[in-house]
Amino acid sequence: MLILAIFLTNCSGVKQLSIFKEEVKRQELNLEKPTPLQLEQIKWIIITSENAAEVFKKMEEQGLDPVLFGLTDNDYQLIAKNFAQIRNQLKITNDILDKYKEYYEPKEEVKE
Amino acid sequence: MLSFRLFFIGLLISAVIGAGAYVMKLQRDNVILKENAVKLEGAISEQKQVIENQKKDFAEILEANKKINELVNNLKKDLDDLDKRFSKKDRDIGKLAIERTGAIERVINKGSDNATRCIEIASGSPLTEEEKNATKKSEINPECPSIANPSYIPY
Repeated sequence: MLILAIFLTNCSGVKQLSIFKEEVKRQELNLEKPTPLQLEQIKWIIITSENAAEVFKKMEEQGLDPVLFGLTDNDYQLIAKNFAQIRNQLKITNDILDKYKEYYEPKEEVKE
Repeated sequence: MLSFRLFFIGLLISAVIGAGAYVMKLQRDNVILKENAVKLEGAISEQKQVIENQKKDFAEILEANKKINELVNNLKKDLDDLDKRFSKKDRDIGKLAIERTGAIERVINKGSDNATRCIEIASGSPLTEEEKNATKKSEINPECPSIANPSYIPY
């Protein structure tokens, strides 16, 4: 009877609750942002049927090869728009990268 | 008769010991239950903190999306402005270049310099004080005022 009583009282006990917590902070990527571009300035020369001879003469006087790589006025507009689109894409990509960094790798005082 | 008494006494002792053991077990269970309750309260508090953090994260995500959308719209406006400059009032830049070659060449070279600076800014180059403080049309970079001149409000 004694054994039975001890046996019964120890079998169906309340189990101690265990909560496991393990928070290991992920290493920050910390890639350096690319150095901002420093572009060379280019000079556009407008050449028409009237000033062509004068332009080539000036170029020779300045010691430049008398050759020009040309665009029509329409293509000039297109290249200007293309560069504007590339610039916009670069800006958006850069800003998105900054936002990701701010979100996933905030400064400690901000996150706390 | 004696054996019956002995059996009865044994039964009584067993019952008392069993009851004692059961009470002790209840006491142990009670201690564990109290500990569990404390742990659960702690877990609830942590969960509340997690929910608060999630709310903050959602707010941050919304804000970041808003900022990026604003940027996209502003850059689109810059692009539309460039398009308008080429075609404003049936402007034909080719004809203008034939008529006023020198002046258009200067305008185009100035525009090219401004556009070059815009690309530098877009790639992360910090703004100069002049760019930051520009508020007048004559002071801004007309190729990309939305990113080059944060103080400028179009008028």
